Amino acid sequence: MTDSNQLLRLQIDSQLSNTTLVAMAVRGVCAMTTLSPVEINRLELCLVEIVNNAIEHAYGNEAGHPVEICIGLDKNSMNISVSDWGSSIPSDVIDSQEPEEINPDHPEAWLCSGRGLHIVNKLMDDVSYETDEGKNSFIMSKALRY
Amino acid sequence: MAFETREEGTYTVVLVDESRLDASIAESFKVFLFDQIDSGKNKIVVDLSQIRFMDSSGLGALVAGLKKTSGSGLFSLASAQPAVKDLFDLTSMDKLFSLHDSVADAVQGD
Repeated sequence: MTDSNQLLRLQIDSQLSNTTLVAMAVRGVCAMTTLSPVEINRLELCLVEIVNNAIEHAYGNEAGHPVEICIGLDKNSMNISVSDWGSSIPSDVIDSQEPEEINPDHPEAWLCSGRGLHIVNKLMDDVSYETDEGKNSFIMSKALRY
Repeated sequence: MAFETREEGTYTVVLVDESRLDASIAESFKVFLFDQIDSGKNKIVVDLSQIRFMDSSGLGALVAGLKKTSGSGLFSLASAQPAVKDLFDLTSMDKLFSLHDSVADAVQGD
């Protein structure tokens, strides 16, 4: 059991190779919880997807910019925010919840990108996105069971 | 080198010798796959046994390989670890790909 309201704040430079650093950090925090191995893998996936988005879309894959990750634990949930100071995600992209239709007979329709947010929306219990004075934050939470 | 190939019968087995197939290497992996296909290798098995973690960018590179060979070749996957299998299940990509338990299974019947 963890104490309530514990918070870990991390910052990486906007390079895709740095996502492993925060992925390992979140796995470490997950080890303090009752999350199952499958849930930990999924949480790692969600974090990486959102950090990738910040680097690739907010900063256009340009190194030298900050990406801040806050991992909070309380009695009931694990809360993760990923923040950048680049271009914000358009609201129509955030609001898009349409699941991808898979048709094996139409290769031309198979997507090679754009699944990240759908995965996160599917796996996390709650997600939100906010922009405040140039700081964009994607916030997601996962309920913990004790 | 992170990506290696070997021939097994008429198949080309592509081994991803990395524990993470993520956005940091997805583009170079896609280019590697395309180079193989463009050089005439049209029966490809990707050996995923070393990969503990894959994100949607890694998955996208595999979809690109599958698209490029569709209609003119074979493109299948082998030895996916649980987290990778879970990603295919979550995204329904298991409907598109042939997932084999091992490379031997994938090239069986050749």
